[in-house]
Amino acid sequence: MTFNPFSVIALAVPLLSAAVIALFLRRRGAAAAVVSAGAAALLAANALVLALGGHRFTDSAEWLRVGDWTFTLGVKFDDLAALMLTVVGVVGLCVHVFSLGYMRDDEARGRYFGGLSIFMFSMTGIVLADNLVMMFLFWELVGFSSWLLINHYHERQSAADAAKKAFIVNRVGDFGFLLGIVWCQARFGTTQLDALASATEGGAVVSAGIPLLLFCGAVGKSAQLPLHVWLPDAMEGPTPVSALIHAATMVAAGIYMLCRIEMLMVPDALTVIMWTGVVTALYAALCAVTQSDIKKVLAYSTLSQLGYMVAAFGLGSLKVAHDDHFHLMAAGAGAAMFHLTTHAFFKALLFLGSGSVIHGCHHEQDIFRMGGLRRRMPFTFWTFTVGVLAIIGLPGLAGFFSKDAILYLAWAKDPAVFGVLAFTAALTAFYMLRLWRITFLGEARGEGARDAHEGGLTLTAPLGLLAALSVVSGHGWFFNVALGGSFDGIMDEVVHPTGAAHSVILATSIAVLLVGAGAAWILYRPAGDDALARRAPGLFGLLGALRESFDRGYGWYVAKVQQRFAMLLNFLEQILLAGLIVRGLAGVVGLFGLGARALHTGNANTYAYWFLLGIAALWAAATGYLTF
Amino acid sequence: MAALFDPLLIAIVAPLAVALAIGCGLPKRWSVRLAYVGFGIPLLMALHVWWHYSAQTPVSGYAFLRQYSTGLDGLGVSLKLGLNGVALPLFVMAGIVGFAAGLYAIQSQAERLKIYLMLLLVMQGGLMGVFASVDILFLYFFHELALIPTFIMVGVWGGRDRGYAAMKMTIYLTLGAMISLLGLIALYARSGANTFDLIALREHLARFPLAEAVQRDLFGLLALGLGVLVSLWPLHTWAPLGYGAAPSSNAMLHAGVLKKFGLYTLIQVALPLLPAGHAHWASALAWLAVIGNVLIVGFVTIAQRDLKQMIGYSSVMHMGYAFLGIAAGSAVGVGGVILMMVAHGLSVALLFQLATCIHHRTQTFALDEMGGLARPAPVLAALFVAATFASIGLPGFANFWGELAIFVALWKYSPLITALAVSGVVISAVYGLRAASRVFFGPATERMNEVASRQAPSDLRWSERVPALVLLAALLFIGFWPRSLSPAINPALPASPVAAASASR
Repeated sequence: MTFNPFSVIALAVPLLSAAVIALFLRRRGAAAAVVSAGAAALLAANALVLALGGHRFTDSAEWLRVGDWTFTLGVKFDDLAALMLTVVGVVGLCVHVFSLGYMRDDEARGRYFGGLSIFMFSMTGIVLADNLVMMFLFWELVGFSSWLLINHYHERQSAADAAKKAFIVNRVGDFGFLLGIVWCQARFGTTQLDALASATEGGAVVSAGIPLLLFCGAVGKSAQLPLHVWLPDAMEGPTPVSALIHAATMVAAGIYMLCRIEMLMVPDALTVIMWTGVVTALYAALCAVTQSDIKKVLAYSTLSQLGYMVAAFGLGSLKVAHDDHFHLMAAGAGAAMFHLTTHAFFKALLFLGSGSVIHGCHHEQDIFRMGGLRRRMPFTFWTFTVGVLAIIGLPGLAGFFSKDAILYLAWAKDPAVFGVLAFTAALTAFYMLRLWRITFLGEARGEGARDAHEGGLTLTAPLGLLAALSVVSGHGWFFNVALGGSFDGIMDEVVHPTGAAHSVILATSIAVLLVGAGAAWILYRPAGDDALARRAPGLFGLLGALRESFDRGYGWYVAKVQQRFAMLLNFLEQILLAGLIVRGLAGVVGLFGLGARALHTGNANTYAYWFLLGIAALWAAATGYLTF
Repeated sequence: MAALFDPLLIAIVAPLAVALAIGCGLPKRWSVRLAYVGFGIPLLMALHVWWHYSAQTPVSGYAFLRQYSTGLDGLGVSLKLGLNGVALPLFVMAGIVGFAAGLYAIQSQAERLKIYLMLLLVMQGGLMGVFASVDILFLYFFHELALIPTFIMVGVWGGRDRGYAAMKMTIYLTLGAMISLLGLIALYARSGANTFDLIALREHLARFPLAEAVQRDLFGLLALGLGVLVSLWPLHTWAPLGYGAAPSSNAMLHAGVLKKFGLYTLIQVALPLLPAGHAHWASALAWLAVIGNVLIVGFVTIAQRDLKQMIGYSSVMHMGYAFLGIAAGSAVGVGGVILMMVAHGLSVALLFQLATCIHHRTQTFALDEMGGLARPAPVLAALFVAATFASIGLPGFANFWGELAIFVALWKYSPLITALAVSGVVISAVYGLRAASRVFFGPATERMNEVASRQAPSDLRWSERVPALVLLAALLFIGFWPRSLSPAINPALPASPVAAASASR
């Protein structure tokens, strides 16, 4: 029952920070900011000490027992958890520091920083959880903090709607997740990860239903098709929140969860997971091409990259020759986590960069009203450029390595997937270069862009750190030497191409980069309108319709099906039950002399009188019942 | 002296005594002060027994057991008070909710406040009695004692449609109560034990179980009567209407506490005494609960445009989960129902209180006419949002544990029913968040601006905050620390494989 003190610190510090802010600092924004950022710093330091200091442990304590069902609060801190905790800690700290500057003038800073602290608490819980129920518990809590933070500008109807939509869509996914957990509990008598692993290693047969239901949770949280619709809308939240929750960490929790339940995976389930990821990656990349809001471009890009990770996981394990014998590697999970890590850094960088742009341009978000920011915001420009190069996979930067690991795996396992993912990579280069060129180059086109200015140190310092990580976090020496091989448990599963395959992959990734980026460079010039819309309105309209199709479908379902069904049931309820039966019943009662009017009087004596009479009558009846 | 100290009796008598004193014509100033005592003492006693429960050595599963003669011993009727693991959590919850409802009533400035408080105190005394009674007849008596003030309060202090609501509530609940009484008396008669004492009945029927056909009839009778009281679909229509009209403190106590009488009696009486009856009716109960309460009423809740009706319907929907846990019948399921009853009592009371606080600021319950209230009333918004998330089962609040345990138990009963039941988590998220969003977020509606121009809405006063915070604190405490209840509950649950194994060790 004694818990490792580090894991207690990891959970207690952000929780305490949230509690203190909620109770005492609601109207003291400055103090709340300091408390929350301090907690984030402590959490990051704690994460680094744990991850790099070689602490690996498991803990568990019974938290609730009802009948023969127990819920334990446990910690499983292996290399996978250590990697995720480090990502969460570092990105979390960057976002907190950035928020100090970005949210300086916000009236509701107390609520904002309180929400960030709740989020850090919940996310840490997901990372540390050693069983599925505990993971689900914190899973719901990140959903709540996401709701709270999207809802930050709650006077705006769009923000309130987006928050509601995010939570409800996630609940749809959690419906499956929860069912999967309950099924798993019934099937194995436990949801503890280690116990599940030993059960499946012992040859227990897993129905594909369990992993697929659990996967529903990831579809919601990681915004895969068809539940992706909440993520673009979630951009209504403050930009640092988008960076932390809706790009780097929370939405990646679905991928992390999949890696956690890898032992339950069966081929059929993996195939479904893989194609879900592939389709999401392609669909979202197509959607990103037509966006004009800087955050929406990044949001669809996030969706696409999450699809990449899910696809990588779905590709599954790989047989690798290893000193004369074959060795089965969890290549899918390895590649997914590798990409999750690099993506967390460069996507947080891009989002915070966009935050810096929005802040500098006085809350302008339309890229066609920007332009010329290269000279006015040079630091933001250069760090953003690093982020763009990292995501489009310029050789040498982080995204290049992790994307190649996925492409290689696809090449080895399924050529069709390889083809789609390579095309998606070309699209990524296309839309990112479009975004970059229109935002930063050319002349300023809007009021905001004309007097844009660089933010203070709290805004630039996180950008610098994340830019550095976006450069180095893909290299083998970064993990092996700089981090001392602390994450080998997961990083060793990443399969790197060798020999002829290496040349194919390298050539492919350079080719898609050149094609995508080149096409964008030729098509788009820094201008006040969309070149694609001008030159190919048909294609542009088609892509727009593709993007809207899901929202339209759901909108139609909610308004025309769900709401009408609810109204119909309500109508039947009011008419049939409330009207007919009850008034009928009242009539019957009236016949027996109890009389609705007598009951109308509200006179206590009447009630007591009838009550006593009733008891007497019933007593007689019951005694009669005895004598029969 | 310690021998004379019976916390259960004090908890029952104190509010009744205060009610009597007020009834005897105490001046208003003193009535109000004494009312604090009348609601405070049951809370203190509830906390006292909660704190000391684990140190007690239970007799036949009951702690704090006391017997008082009623002069009807020949009939097997005596005032026997005690708490087992099923009763303790509900006794504690009744104390907390009663205190919050009382505090809210005292500051409510209702017309004829003295009588209002007096009736509420009678209710509180009855409620404490329901969960402290070991004798079935007193169980029923205390329920009726708490029920009658409900009718009067709805009829006199109620809101819109109070006449019709009071009539409908009275007919339904009286009928339900009488059918259950018939069942209880028949059980007494048929058992042949000549006692209403639940402990003695249990021992007797363990040795001489009733014939299966008798068990079936009795369980059916009890399930029907108690089903009306707990708003089992389609016998539920009194509930939203009644709660919509009921004055807030009354709705808090009825929806929060009194309604649990039916479930409580099913768990305490019907399940252990009539196992064959349960086996016969479980399937019908489960299907009614999942299709009727969870799905149909869930969708009906989505369609509501009136905040209070919405809360009323959502409460009916949550009762579906409770019936499902009872239908599953296993230790996990019943334990889940107990946890859920406590959590639901606290959260629905909180919602009803805050709905009235909202009404004071918007002058309406119509969701379409509100909006943007979070700006002038951030604390009210935060509390209402917390209550909403509690009621839709967010972890961290007590409600999560009950629902989860019920789902776990239900899978073993029927995966299909589980899948249908779990879909309720989406439905409740839809109506819960929609209501919170309509009231508090987005821009204010024109109607709201009009109301605000007459009297600018203010945030919660402290007299409104305290009862809400009491309820919220209890929800969070149990949510974070469910073991504060579960060790007491476990020994009282139907025998499960684990319990049997540990007993044989």
